[in-house]
Amino acid sequence: MFKKVIAKSMAKSPWIYHVNTGSCNGCDIELVAVLTPRYDAERFGFKLAGTPRHADIVVVSGPITSQSKERLIRTLEQVPEPKCVVSIGSCPRSCNVFKGSYSVEGPLENFTHVDVSIAGCTPKPEAIIEGLYKAAEILAEKREAMNK
Amino acid sequence: MEIITTIFTNAFYVLVFPGLLFVAIVGLLLAGIDRKVLARMQKRVGPPLIQPFYDFFKLMGKETIIPHAANRRVFLAAPVVGFVSLVVMMLFIPIFGFSPLSTNADLIILLYLLTIPAVALIVGGSASGSPYAGIGISREMVTMMAYELPLVIVLLTVARKVGGSTLCFSLSEISLFQQAEGSLITNWSLIPAAIAMLLVIPAEVGTQPFDVAEAETEICEGPLVEYSGAPLAIFKLNTAIKMFIMTALFTVLFFGGIDTGFIALNALVLVAICAVLTVICMTLIHAICARLKIEHLFKFYWTVVTVLAAISLILVWLGL
Amino acid sequence: MINFTHFPVIAVMGLFLCAFLVEIFGAKNKYIRNTIALVAAFGAFALIAALIKPVFVDGNVISYWMGNWTPVGGYAIGIGYEIDALNLFFALLVVTTVLLSGIYSVKYMERDHHLGHYYTLYLMLSGSVLGLVLTGDIFNMFVMIEIMTFASVALTAFRNNKLGALEGAFKYLIIGSVGSSLTLSGIALLYAQCHTLNMSQLSAALATGLSPTTILAFALMFAGFGVKSYIVPFHAPAADAYMAAPTSVSMLFSGMVNKAGVYGMIRLTYVIFRAMDLSSVQLLLVTLGTVTMFIGVTMALAQHNFKRLLAFHSISQIGYVITAIGLGTALGLSSGIFHAMNHTLFKGLLFLTAGAVLYATGTCDLDRLGGLSKRMPKTTICFLIGAFSISGLPPFNGFASKWMIYQSTFAKATETGNFGYAFATIVALVVSVMTLASFIKVTQAVFFGQLPENLKEVREVPLLMRIPMWIMSALCILSGVFYNFVAKYLLTPATNAAFNVTNYIDKMMGEGYAAANGITETAIGFSPLDLWNPVLWLILFAIVLISVCIVILTGEKERGRTLVKTDADPEDGKYATFFGGEASTHSHVGGSDLFWGFKHDFKGYFKFIQGMHSGVVNDYALWVVVATALITVFMFIFVR
Repeated sequence: MFKKVIAKSMAKSPWIYHVNTGSCNGCDIELVAVLTPRYDAERFGFKLAGTPRHADIVVVSGPITSQSKERLIRTLEQVPEPKCVVSIGSCPRSCNVFKGSYSVEGPLENFTHVDVSIAGCTPKPEAIIEGLYKAAEILAEKREAMNK
Repeated sequence: MEIITTIFTNAFYVLVFPGLLFVAIVGLLLAGIDRKVLARMQKRVGPPLIQPFYDFFKLMGKETIIPHAANRRVFLAAPVVGFVSLVVMMLFIPIFGFSPLSTNADLIILLYLLTIPAVALIVGGSASGSPYAGIGISREMVTMMAYELPLVIVLLTVARKVGGSTLCFSLSEISLFQQAEGSLITNWSLIPAAIAMLLVIPAEVGTQPFDVAEAETEICEGPLVEYSGAPLAIFKLNTAIKMFIMTALFTVLFFGGIDTGFIALNALVLVAICAVLTVICMTLIHAICARLKIEHLFKFYWTVVTVLAAISLILVWLGL
Repeated sequence: MINFTHFPVIAVMGLFLCAFLVEIFGAKNKYIRNTIALVAAFGAFALIAALIKPVFVDGNVISYWMGNWTPVGGYAIGIGYEIDALNLFFALLVVTTVLLSGIYSVKYMERDHHLGHYYTLYLMLSGSVLGLVLTGDIFNMFVMIEIMTFASVALTAFRNNKLGALEGAFKYLIIGSVGSSLTLSGIALLYAQCHTLNMSQLSAALATGLSPTTILAFALMFAGFGVKSYIVPFHAPAADAYMAAPTSVSMLFSGMVNKAGVYGMIRLTYVIFRAMDLSSVQLLLVTLGTVTMFIGVTMALAQHNFKRLLAFHSISQIGYVITAIGLGTALGLSSGIFHAMNHTLFKGLLFLTAGAVLYATGTCDLDRLGGLSKRMPKTTICFLIGAFSISGLPPFNGFASKWMIYQSTFAKATETGNFGYAFATIVALVVSVMTLASFIKVTQAVFFGQLPENLKEVREVPLLMRIPMWIMSALCILSGVFYNFVAKYLLTPATNAAFNVTNYIDKMMGEGYAAANGITETAIGFSPLDLWNPVLWLILFAIVLISVCIVILTGEKERGRTLVKTDADPEDGKYATFFGGEASTHSHVGGSDLFWGFKHDFKGYFKFIQGMHSGVVNDYALWVVVATALITVFMFIFVR
């Protein structure tokens, strides 16, 4: 019973930690817009956490710059299991217009497994909510997989 | 046979009502009401009422990371000690005359037990070895110093009002006094003290704008920065229970005159009053205020709130 | 049947005798030296502990005349020892402290030289304080005060290669001598007026009322004992002396030397002058006590040195004691002496942990330590017990005594309708939180947080140093949990003894002497309050704790893997401290950074009070003189 409750709660209360790895700030504003009264992601239990130790979902925005690469990896390491990585926007997917720059080391898949990738430059808030919701469901699956 | 019944009833008191299970459920429910009402005030839909339960169970299912710099034993023991002292405290707060385990719950003992969860948070945060936690605990401690002065004066005011020229530090006596003489809130000289107490509650619980210690946007939740999984869940639960206990304490001190005659009904009334108080003194202030700076918080409590409490104490001392 | 009357004098003489034997036989050989010192300390402990039954349980008062010079014609000529429950209570504190400090010294002092001198002075100090609290003769008391002062001065300067040792000793010497001189002047005036030096006869002689001469004597002796118990404004040398002395001696200072001052104060006000029913004396003591506790704790909040911080806390806690005994009620006095006892226990414990840190790391500077709990876990536990005790968290002993102090001050306020006593209650409660704050600062700065690179190799202190710490910790917990027991068997007899002046005089001077001089007070039947039952709370606490643990542990299986890793790889970034993504570096939030908001709001006050503690001994001597003058004026105007 306990396991079921936990797995269900896992999908209902995902806490987000947001890492900006050289984003132009467009996706960042959209992520904040998701929490505003108009879209209100908190109705699904989403909440911004202050530290990776509290987080379930790590949201990455921006092409991975060489300055931010190590910091990103370190932060991802410090998130307790089970965890999900979500990329927002085109940059972490393909490095977007920054591709080929001397200081860009993306895409994100080179460094970690990405569970959900939300496309767009920038993605609409509705898309972000849908992506995060999917990530929350993946969290519950990961939790159930851990039980076995 | 009688012994078995006694043990059984006492175990029921400790573990179910008004102990462990009751405080945990009501505390989390109050936290849910707080979040829901806050969302409605901001024209949002808001999380479901049982969202804190989801958060709690989710955190219980997460991995617990103990950082290298932390002192393992203290790091893990701190949340549990805080939780246990909160539960024990609830056993001694009378629910409108119903105080299952003791009749001499002393105001000063409660005052000190109330500091234990805060000390547990401070020591636990300190033991985690993080510099963010170091700053957080210092703020938490200053917050504690700030609200303790007005809280002490409020408690002494009530003790003086009820005791008169004799000494009265007993909560159940305060409750009985009010059932005979009417609730203390109806006494105009105690209204400043009641307002002061209402302002103490958010600092004690640590909700915005008095959450300088856990300011997640500047110092990454302060003392909690390295906590994850089950210990974090218990800390979150502690905060929720504190909401309930502080509002229940307020109810006992100022609305003690209510008695419907049934324990279950009384408990429901208590929860209802607590919910209203939570909305008034936590959600409302949260929705309209931004976080204070620590020195402003300290100044606020040692001037405005203390003066309010002191006015009451002087009025009561003059026999009004 | 053993004759108990000789025990006290043997204990005192034994300590003095061994002080010389150590120097003669033990100057070269450390085993002989340690053996003599420990045997003397243990002997004194055993002899005093043997008096518990006749005095506390049977309720006797032991009187002893040196050389059997009993009073002739109603005049006490010889030196008398008189042990009632009040004396013995303080004597027990003294011998316990001496014994534990002796055990601690063996390892703690082993790196120093000329330990023969150290043990001589240590035993002299112990003997003099024990003599001070046991004696019934006021001039003998003065002699003991002198020995105590000079032994303390020499011990403060013992590590004279260290910074501040000579300075601290010099300040102690000056202020201590001023205090002794004040006491001596008071005694001389009393002797001129009453023609006797015996305390019980003095009490009887002063029964007819106070003349201007005796009021002056009272004021001078009051100030003299004030200096010895370091109440504000006589407190200034204490901080330097406690910091500079070896820690085993700091423990003696705070554990028994200032308790001797408190004892003298109680004897003076309650027995010799019987002035505690005067509201003016009550007001004076409560005011001094309240000011002392507030100034002590705020100065402690501003300190950067572990031992200096503890020294200011000693001053603050003595403020509690003085406030409580100044109430003049039975509850007040019993809470005062209870707090004196608890202060001996937890402050001794804290000094021992400070000594352990100093021994292991070589520094007491709060800004240079950190993270020691990983290297010294046992010391950390002892420190936490001491810190929670002094901050008054239940169920430790500090809570029980502080709670009695709040109860007694507020009871006094409601009885007399005097708002000032309620103010004292409020100050006491707030000071308690500030005490907690400054110990949180020490906890964070020394034991938790991050370990500096140069302290990676620190080792836990040896067993012989840990044993006294464990004993002190156990006593802190036991006297808190079984406080009803302590109140019944120790505090009640001691309190009754202080109020039962008639009995004190009659036992010394012969039956009916008190009545003949017009003292007709009878014993008061004080019984301890039975309101808070720590055992019940502890049982509840344990039940809830166990059930929570059961829930958590069964839940662990039920929840599936929870992944608490115990043997994590030190290189794994997952277990590194979170720095916002940066690599882990040493970043410790030290003591002086804490409580910024508080200090900011009180910066005017802190600036003023730190400016007042200028460190110039002239200033401190001036404080003493001015305060004595003010006390004298106060007494002349208000004491009738």
